[in-house]
Amino acid sequence: MFAYTVRRVIATIPVMGVVALFVFSLLYLAPGDPAAIIAGDQATPEDVERIRASLGLDRPFLVRFLEWLFRVLQGDLGVSIFTNLPVAHMIKQRLEPTFSLMALTLAIALTFAIPMGVLAAWKQGTWIDRLVMVFAVLGFSVPVFVVGYLLAYTFALQLDWFPVQGYTPIANGLGGWLSNLMLPAVALGGVFIALIARITRATMLEVLSQDYVRTAKAKGVGQRAILFVHALKNAAVPIITIIGLGFAGLIGGAVVTESVFAIPGVGRLVVDAILRRDYPVIQGVVLMFSFVYVIVNLIVDLLYTVFDPRIRY
Amino acid sequence: MSTTTLPPDGFNAAPKLADVLPPRKERGRIGMFIYRHPTIAVGGFMVSLFVLMAIFAPLLWTVDPTALAPARRTRPPSAQWWFGTDMLGRDVYSRVVYGARISLIVGFATAIISAVIGLTIGLISGFIRAVDAVVMRVMDGLMSIPSILLAIAMMALTRASVENVIIALVIADVPRVARLVRGVVLTLREQPYVEAAVAAGTRTPMIIWKHILPNTLAPVTVQATFFCASAMISEATLSFIGAGTPPIIPSWGNIMAEGRALWQVKPYIVFFPAIFLSITVLSVNLLGDGLRDALDPRMAKRI
Repeated sequence: MFAYTVRRVIATIPVMGVVALFVFSLLYLAPGDPAAIIAGDQATPEDVERIRASLGLDRPFLVRFLEWLFRVLQGDLGVSIFTNLPVAHMIKQRLEPTFSLMALTLAIALTFAIPMGVLAAWKQGTWIDRLVMVFAVLGFSVPVFVVGYLLAYTFALQLDWFPVQGYTPIANGLGGWLSNLMLPAVALGGVFIALIARITRATMLEVLSQDYVRTAKAKGVGQRAILFVHALKNAAVPIITIIGLGFAGLIGGAVVTESVFAIPGVGRLVVDAILRRDYPVIQGVVLMFSFVYVIVNLIVDLLYTVFDPRIRY
Repeated sequence: MSTTTLPPDGFNAAPKLADVLPPRKERGRIGMFIYRHPTIAVGGFMVSLFVLMAIFAPLLWTVDPTALAPARRTRPPSAQWWFGTDMLGRDVYSRVVYGARISLIVGFATAIISAVIGLTIGLISGFIRAVDAVVMRVMDGLMSIPSILLAIAMMALTRASVENVIIALVIADVPRVARLVRGVVLTLREQPYVEAAVAAGTRTPMIIWKHILPNTLAPVTVQATFFCASAMISEATLSFIGAGTPPIIPSWGNIMAEGRALWQVKPYIVFFPAIFLSITVLSVNLLGDGLRDALDPRMAKRI
């Protein structure tokens, strides 16, 4: 187990290396002159030169990359072109809303998706099953921001149950935090519920046809115990795998959801950075989120052995 | 039929077959196809409708979707302006109909281009060990950048255009196709008929062309359909946050982005393109689900 953990942790290094190399070399690979594009149409030649120098585009690629990588490893993500503040600092200030949104979304998605998937598999072929599958297709098809507007229009504007937008830090009270985040989390959770419910249903169907489930049924184990103890435990590995892979969608969705609900998180930061073409900020956010994604999937890999002791490495 | 002899009188006591068995429904070829693959039929039909709408946009009672008319800003939906007008007085109905073009172009182009490139990379790296190790590390790296962020980073460095949106989405999708194809290739390589071909001295390009490629087409087609759907969502998302199609071109994401400032008072500007986008993506997803069930039963069982 320890050896496996070490091996998996080491295996993430080349992956993060490729991410860093790619995000960095985009500046060089982009067609045209990135300094001129970042500076915008009204920029004077001096502005363009200043940006070129601040991005280090006037120096050789490899030297610049290694320098940059060395600083990133120390937690220095560079300086914003627009605000002149350190990017790492700007991201750190915005982490709480984003991670709150992601955590609440995940909690809501798991609470609904797993029982939905189990129920659909148990009642396979009935209208319950069909309803869950229809919901799954809809969840994949309706974009997050559309669901967001629909929810905000209905539950905030018309019914006035929740605030339309904004964010209350968790330190100011759990109630305000929750009421601000409820609609965004449900909107963002739609796709995730669809994804997890579908994979839960599929793996449960497979597990329910196994011999040991039939044996359990024969010896009189209750329906609920069969579903949630015998079957679900064995269906756990595919489910946590899809949660790990779906995390990329969760990150992408958070960026959009924060725009719809005016949540001052990392997603807003990156959207504002696009409008100002503040590449160091975008670069920093992409690196940070990719790192989170890789770490989440590393944890998922390590969880396999917990859920399925047969897996030995 | 004419040779059939009727039983003599008195033998009619036994009921005719038709009285016992329900009448067998006669279905034509099209009827049979719809019966066996309802999701392909429904999804395909709806996708074709949207394609026709995009092609014949000028004929569908639309006006110039970019024509400004400040005098009639933000009119609610009415007989004259079916979906109302936006804050610059442009006809939202015309913009939504023309917007289908961008969504469909981006969706189809992204799906086809990333399928072709991913297929090529997957075939090569599934067969050549030396390439495999390096290429798959690069693909793993690319896959660990959430695709919307990858596209945002690329769009920030280039001038906004539909082509650049497609390129950004293709780069995000290629690794996924490549991984899928590589997996198929690795299992196929061990198949007896491929080993037989190798033993018989068939050259590698011929094996790939004759034995491997045909077997990868079904899963890639299914995957490409889902990429088409997700590319449409991604294009709208990117345009919505200001990193996609240039604002001058009416695309569903752009219309929603422009309606954002006013959405609390004029929600229809956001909701009409939202409905069209959702139904289009739903149609493509239905088509994909149907194709998966029809072409790849093994995959259908798993998901």
